[in-house]
Formats: sequence, C-alpha cells, structure tokens
Amino acid sequence: MATLKLTALEKTYPNGHRALHGIDLEIDDGEMVVVVGPSGCGKSTLLRCLAGLETISSGELAIAGQRVNELEPAARDIAMVFQNYALYPHMSVADNMGYALKNRGVPKPERRRRVAETASLLGLEALLERKPGQLSGGQRQRVAMGRAIVREPRVFLFDEPLSNLDAALRVQMRLEIRRLQKRLGITSVYVTHDQVEAMTLADRLVIMNGGRIEQVGTPLELYARPRTRFVAGFIGSPAMNFLEARVKDGEIIVGDGSVLAPAADIQGSIAVGIRPEHLRVVDAGEADLTARVEMLEPLGADTLAYCRVSGLSLPLVIRLDGGAALAEGQTLAVKLPLSRLHLFDLDSGERLPWHSPETSIV
Amino acid sequence: MTTFDNHRVTPWILLAPQLLVVAVFFFWPAFQALQQAFYVEDPFGLGRSFVWFDNFTRVLASPEYHRALGVTVAVGVGVAVGAMALALLLAVLADRVIRGARVYRSLLIWPYAVAPAVAGVLWMFLFDPGLGIVSHLLAGVGVRWDHHLHGDQALALVIIASIWKQMSYNFVFFLAGLQAIPRSLLEAAAIDAAGPWRRFWSITFPLLSPTTFFLLVMNSVYAFFETFGTIDATTAGGPGGATRTLVYKVYEDGVIGYDLGSSAAQSVILMLLVGLLTLIQFRYVERRVQY
Ligand SMILES: Nc1ncnc2c1ncn2[C@@H]1O[C@H](COP(=O)(O)OP(=O)(O)OP(=O)(O)O)[C@@H](O)[C@H]1O
Ligand SMILES: [Mg+2]
Repeated sequence: MATLKLTALEKTYPNGHRALHGIDLEIDDGEMVVVVGPSGCGKSTLLRCLAGLETISSGELAIAGQRVNELEPAARDIAMVFQNYALYPHMSVADNMGYALKNRGVPKPERRRRVAETASLLGLEALLERKPGQLSGGQRQRVAMGRAIVREPRVFLFDEPLSNLDAALRVQMRLEIRRLQKRLGITSVYVTHDQVEAMTLADRLVIMNGGRIEQVGTPLELYARPRTRFVAGFIGSPAMNFLEARVKDGEIIVGDGSVLAPAADIQGSIAVGIRPEHLRVVDAGEADLTARVEMLEPLGADTLAYCRVSGLSLPLVIRLDGGAALAEGQTLAVKLPLSRLHLFDLDSGERLPWHSPETSIV
Repeated sequence: MTTFDNHRVTPWILLAPQLLVVAVFFFWPAFQALQQAFYVEDPFGLGRSFVWFDNFTRVLASPEYHRALGVTVAVGVGVAVGAMALALLLAVLADRVIRGARVYRSLLIWPYAVAPAVAGVLWMFLFDPGLGIVSHLLAGVGVRWDHHLHGDQALALVIIASIWKQMSYNFVFFLAGLQAIPRSLLEAAAIDAAGPWRRFWSITFPLLSPTTFFLLVMNSVYAFFETFGTIDATTAGGPGGATRTLVYKVYEDGVIGYDLGSSAAQSVILMLLVGLLTLIQFRYVERRVQY
C-alpha cells in the first residue's frame, strides 16, 4: 500500500516515437485510478513505465515517496494483470499463484496457506491443480487476479484485464475487481479504453490523448465539467452532441439561425456541446430547434433518435424514454436546457468560461 | 478433363516418382541387406551359403563391435549434448540482439551448408599436429595434440567437428522456439521477482521442451549416422578404432574388408535401432508436453 507520484514523466521509444509527453499525476494510498483514452494514446506505455518493463526517458516516478526510476520490476513491489493474462502455461494454477512467493523465498507451508486463502477469495479452490490451458477465459482472468493478489503488493497495475471476456462476464468481473480492490485497499492503476468500465471502477479518472493527460477528476466531475471537447466527447455514452455555432452581437446562434442564449464575453465560432440525455422534446412554441428523425435505436429503457437539423452537418442524437411513440421521418421540437450546455473553442477545443442564465444544476 | 476423372489411377501416377525413388534407394537395398545378412559369401563372390543367424551372433559377440557401440554412444551423447547446449546458448544470445540480427543469424546458419567431408577436412587442418593453428595454440598451453596417435583426441576432434556442423540446425529451431514464447510471460516473471537465470530455467526452458526433445531425437540420429562423412575425412575410424562408430564399421567390414555377411547383419541391427529411435519420436510427438 503506497502513494504514487509521477512528475513530468516522459517516454521516448528507441525508434524515436515519443509516447508520453510529460505526465504529472499523484495517486493516493488505496485509490483506484482508471486511465482511459483512445487506442495508441500511451496507456499501456504509461503502465509499463510504472511496472519497470520500460525505462523512463525523463521525469520521476516515486512509490511511497521514494524514487524508483532505476529499480527493477521485482524491486518495485508491484503486481500486474496483463490483457492476455500471461499465465505460465506449464504450471498448475497453484504454482502460477505461488511463483512470486517462491521467488521471494517464502517458505512452502506459508506459500500454500496464502495461495489457498486467495483461491477461496476468488472461488478458485477446485481449480488449483489444473493447467491454464484447461480453464475458461473467465477462470483464467480470475487466476491472473489471484496471482496479483496473493503477493499483497504495494501497487496493482491492470492493463485492460477484461477486454478478452464477453459482455456479461465483463460486467461481473468489473464488480468483482471493484469489490476486491476496496476490500484489500491496494493502490491501483487500471487501464482501459472502455469508458463504461472506466466510469464504474474509478475513484478518479485520467483521460489521456496523444501521450498527454487531458483531464483528471472523479467520473462525475468529468461528466459534468469536461475541460476539453475531447474529454466531453469521450465520457458519456452515447457521446455528447456538438453543434457548430457562432456568437454574434452577444448571442449564440446555432445552425440556420436559431438564437440559443446570450453570451456576453465570447467571440467568433464555437462548438456547443449537449448530451443526448439532456435534450428535451417540447411543444413547438418553446423549441430551440426542429429535428427530423432519421433513425431510431430502441434499447428498451431508452430509445436513441438520430436526427437531422437543418444547418448542422452532424446528426443530433437524442435520448428519449423507451415508451415514447416515435416514427422515423417525424419532426421533433427540441429544447436545449441552458444549464446543460458546454461551450468549447472551435480551434483549441478548450472549454469556454460561460455562466448560463439558468442556474447550473451541478 | 476426362483424364482426371479416373481417380483410382491418378494418385498412383502422381506418387510414382516418389515411390520409385523410395523403392530403388531404400526398399531394394534394405531387402538386399536383410537377405545378405543370412549368408556367408566367399571372398571372390563366386558362391554363398545360408548360415541362419550366424552373422548376427558373430557380430554381437565380437569385442570390436562392442567397442564400436561404445564409440557410437560417446559420439552420440557428446554431439547431441554439445551441439544442443551451444546452439541454445547462441540462440538465447541471438534472441536478445536487436541491431544487425539478420546478419548475425545468417552467419550462424552457414555451417549447415558446408558438406560434412569439407567440414571434416577443415577441422583436420585446424588441428593438424604440424600445421594446425589450434594444435599450435594448444602446444602453447602445454597440450601435445596429435589425433593420429591419441584415440581420445581423435574422438574429441570428431565430436567437435560434428558439433560445429550440427549446431546451425539446432540454432534455427531453438531461435524459432524462443521467439514463439510470448514476451509477456517473461515480463510477468520479471515482475514476479524472478531474475534472468531463474526466468530461463523456470519459464523459457520448460516452454522450449517440445523443441528440445525433437532436437534430441534428430541429433542422436545425426550423431549415429551422418557423422560418417566427418569421420571418414578426419580420422577414417582411427587410430586403432578409437573413432570407429557402428556405421563406420559397417562400411569398413563391407566395403574394405569385404565381409558382406557381417556388414549386412550390422546394417540390419542399425535399421532396427533407427526404427526404435523413430518409434520413440512418434510416441513423443503424439503426446507432447501438455499445456
Ligand atoms: N516498443 C515500441 N516501440 C515504438 N513505439 C511503440 C512501442 N510500443 C508502443 N509504441 C507506440 O507508442 C504509442 C502508445 O502505445 P501504447 O501501447 O501505450 O497505446 P495504448 O494506449 O495502450 O493503446 P491500446 O488501447 O491500443 O492498447 C503508439 O503510437 C505505439 O505505436
Ligand atoms: Mg494498450
């Protein structure tokens, strides 16, 4: 159990590719931090630098206040769960779990006891004598977890541990990982590109893009106040809608001319963000926009309506109640609640400071 | 199209060249040897008499045959262990090389392309008591090298030359085997506090075991049979039979000594031996290491 501190951490691969551009991050003792971002943004690289599998090019990594840049993976006292599990195929489940203890010179009786304890925690008692090749994907995943837990390391690292499982099992294992992490209270860094997984597991979320951290915060903070358009589009499912708009004479004008709201201190072209679940269908009189339904996606509890709005290039996605009577081709009168709008600079993608006339709910 | 309709004849036609080669170069000589093994022939090839198992009992009782068996086992174990250990070491080192890996690997594979006799002559010159560089260097550290006089030195020379020749073959297989081991396993082991030495013995080596076993069989067969060219070129079985392997003895007794009956009986015993080795290999391949 330990804190983790990353200061201006950089990684340049031998081929000259700069995968991490100065990462600053502090992780508290016992905290679960989830790193999320699109493919190739450097999540695995970051994790491998923490583990000591890649050398850190510059900057500092400290575990429990002590610099560990130069330490071998074994000396950092971390455990890692790999995406492909990396179980030793020629060893039984018990040997897989006991391997690290054996290498650290833990005597056999204690090793056996600790493996048995961990196995019962994960429901693996019946599988201890099997080889990894004789296990299902979910069971292998559990063994990989067990191998990490049994050591009682200072830090857990997870690299997309659930991405090889089917959807139902993924939900189940997600809950289980959360439960175990809380119970053991071990500082954890969890990498995923699944934003639902990220939202549900994280104490704090780190959004990465192109080798940089875009934003750090609790899942709800990021949902409510994304600092950039990238974060806004990345967090939340279905993704936030972005409407091209311009500010003229202190007013925000969307699409083919609807005036949305006053905006005193902003100039030029902007993007207006609004989440599908925050759009409201209203009577024609109160509407800000009219949208034509092009496609419906009934999900049971909700229905997603993909709509076309004249003057806007992107379709507008609206999340509606599953029971609503809708048909493709229908027109909807849509209202954009001002307190739910996010304004972003069109070029830099930065969030623009703006206080909506309505009081913010968050 | 009609010619291809007769599916009963076509396969035989397609197989014919292969079958012909096997029949002419394997079955026919094998049959000849088997037949010959039961006869004693007079030295002029004018007449022969059927002697039942006399040739076999004579061969198996002969102390020279026992000695040749001993030499064969020594060469077999020496070459198999030496060639595999060295090849594994080189493969492990080559696996780590990143820059210029291809050049390095190609160079290591070259010896395999050298004919056994050429390899033999090469090593004979290197170790030549009068001219050889190696024997000169050995003299510098006080070793008097003359494989024409000392049986154990001759045996060592044959083993060294054969190892050098076989190493490339093993190297290719070991390197392929090493590269098939997922990197993440070794990374997981590194995180699990296993040092490089422990990682090699507890992860890499067990995962290479199918390759190792396959090579063990191939190397034994090589050491038994294909060292003939090397032996003939370097020591010709000498001095005093110190490097006379079973195969070399078949050749000496048959081609030089013209004792065809005994030579044939030895061939038959050798064939049985190969059969046994092949059987072990097949049994093994069927139930590979389970994981
Ligand atoms: N060994 C390497 N040498 C050079 N470049 C590399 C190496 N490993 C990764 N990269 C590059 O570094 C960048 C980040 O890779 P990384 O594996 O960290 O991405 P990731 O965020 O984990 O992606 P994914 O979600 O697809 O796993 C990528 O552009 C990748 O091509
Ligand atoms: Mg990755």
